[in-house]
Amino acid sequence: MKNSVHVIVFAGILAVVCSILLYAVTQFTEPFRKMNEETDKDRNFLSALGVPIGKNVRPKELLGIFDKNIKVRKLGKITIYEYIPETSASGKPVAVAVPFSGAGFWAPIKGVLAFEPDLLTIRGIRFYQQEETPGLGGEIASKWFQNEFKGKKIVSNTGEAGFKIVKSGEAAGVNAVDAITGATRTSERVQIMLNRVAKELYKERKNYVR
Amino acid sequence: MNTTSVLAIFIASIFTNNILLASFLGLCSFIVVSNRIETAISLGIAVTFVMVFTSAINYIVYYYILIPFKLDFLSYVVFIAVIAAFVQFLEMFIERFSPALYYSLGIFLPLITVNCAIFGAVLFMVIRKYDFIQSVGFGFGSGLGWALAIVLMAGLRKKMGYSKIPEALKGPGIILIVTGVIAMTFIGFTGMLSTQ
Amino acid sequence: MSDNAVSLPSAPGNIKPDRKKYRETFFGGIYTTNPVTVQVLGICIFLAVTIRVQNSIVMGLALIVVLTGTNLFVSMLRAYIPRRIRMIVEVAIIATFVIILDQLLRAFYWDMSKQLGPYVALIITNCIVMGRAEAFAIQNPPLISMVDGAANGIGYLWILVAVALVRELIGSGTILGFTILSTSWYTKNILFLLAPGAFITGGLLIWVINAINLSLKKEKAK
Repeated sequence: MKNSVHVIVFAGILAVVCSILLYAVTQFTEPFRKMNEETDKDRNFLSALGVPIGKNVRPKELLGIFDKNIKVRKLGKITIYEYIPETSASGKPVAVAVPFSGAGFWAPIKGVLAFEPDLLTIRGIRFYQQEETPGLGGEIASKWFQNEFKGKKIVSNTGEAGFKIVKSGEAAGVNAVDAITGATRTSERVQIMLNRVAKELYKERKNYVR
Repeated sequence: MNTTSVLAIFIASIFTNNILLASFLGLCSFIVVSNRIETAISLGIAVTFVMVFTSAINYIVYYYILIPFKLDFLSYVVFIAVIAAFVQFLEMFIERFSPALYYSLGIFLPLITVNCAIFGAVLFMVIRKYDFIQSVGFGFGSGLGWALAIVLMAGLRKKMGYSKIPEALKGPGIILIVTGVIAMTFIGFTGMLSTQ
Repeated sequence: MSDNAVSLPSAPGNIKPDRKKYRETFFGGIYTTNPVTVQVLGICIFLAVTIRVQNSIVMGLALIVVLTGTNLFVSMLRAYIPRRIRMIVEVAIIATFVIILDQLLRAFYWDMSKQLGPYVALIITNCIVMGRAEAFAIQNPPLISMVDGAANGIGYLWILVAVALVRELIGSGTILGFTILSTSWYTKNILFLLAPGAFITGGLLIWVINAINLSLKKEKAK
């Protein structure tokens, strides 16, 4: 009998101590985690647009940079993020970002595609949410894959809107990049997403006034 | 929201993304218990059963209790507790109603609590934002996948008992390498899902 | 609380360990009874994170922290932990440590926590942590338990890094993200990034270490 009292008392104390400890730590880290989660998207937008940000910029400063340099507006149905440097006198955007998303192999993929002001030439791309297989589909988040997109266009040489991800080493034309070897499915799905963005944006492009 | 169909998740979690062969989960008991086919089958069934129910229970607990009450910082502890409690309950239930089943299965039940495949399946379910049906499908598929892998391994180990293996490679070394080969053949199933 | 004496697992815990015991404990964790190569514990996480050297280092350090911490607390509480619920108590202590670590990673090392994904949480069910608490900390004084935890953590870390070096170099041609094998002449062997590569590299490593140990043993026998 005495023993079971001991068990209950011990378990109770342990549960209370652990919960309090966890609660304290969660409370303490919450602002940082929230900031990280929230700025994760902004950080990727800025990075795709080529906005200069320091390597170890704190989340708060990052939000400041985002507010000062980025103007969000609608172009038809598409939400666009214009990069107008706060130092620029003309107030003209130097780059435009368009977010995209779609089904990945395991979980939804979210990313952002940044263009030069002509809305045709790709300036940068970032995938900020993905659960693809690490080392394979997960490589879409790696630098080498994202660098492939720089300078590519969302129209083909013959003027047709669209974007292609083709078998490694066969990327020909201004609107195609090499796929990730061994990650056919992820590459296919990313192509579908980008193709959709390309077509929609191309349609709205003529309505775009700087 | 995840749009992948339940069937695709189910099939992928058995073959192309087998929880043991692609996500490496549940290896400890895999290595220890895969020495006999009968025990492998029993444990496989037990794991599948527990996985289906704990995925479902943990889904309900997470989305209807932890999230609304902002207790999600306790989620890992709660997941483990749910798994442990379910296994305990199952053990008592089987012992009372089917002693025969208890003798063949019961001894493995405590092993399941510390099987990381079950905890891992719950974590993947939360991270990948599956809905209820998808979670159950994923749990069921992962359990079957794990069972399939351990039964295959048990069969191969039985055969390997007659082969000459270098002294230093005996035991875990050769098991891991053979598992690698099995994992490679499972990659071959990738084509199955290409039409989705 | 006189009846607690019954719940004490065994007497040796109350004998003061000497220097030799410390040394044995330390090198045991690192090599002779290494958790991965000899006891084959905790390979779930082991195979998953060795895809990159950097991930392995972070995971190894995380494990050192969790192992040392849980061993310390389990050992300090060993006289009071009721024997019947000892496993649950151990899991609770481990889980608390892991969650704290997970939260800190998310707060201050966001990129890495994103990459490691669920595998940080999976430390809770990593058999090494539970195994050390159960096999060592519950019957030894705090200080030497901490040494045991840290040694096993270091033992885990170096094996992780060793395998990650091989996998990252062959699979991606890089080490710690720096290109070693240029893609201009080297074709990345993706198989090493995939699961089969992980299993096979792990198996070969265990083979090599066992072979060394066996030949050392034979040498001694001579």
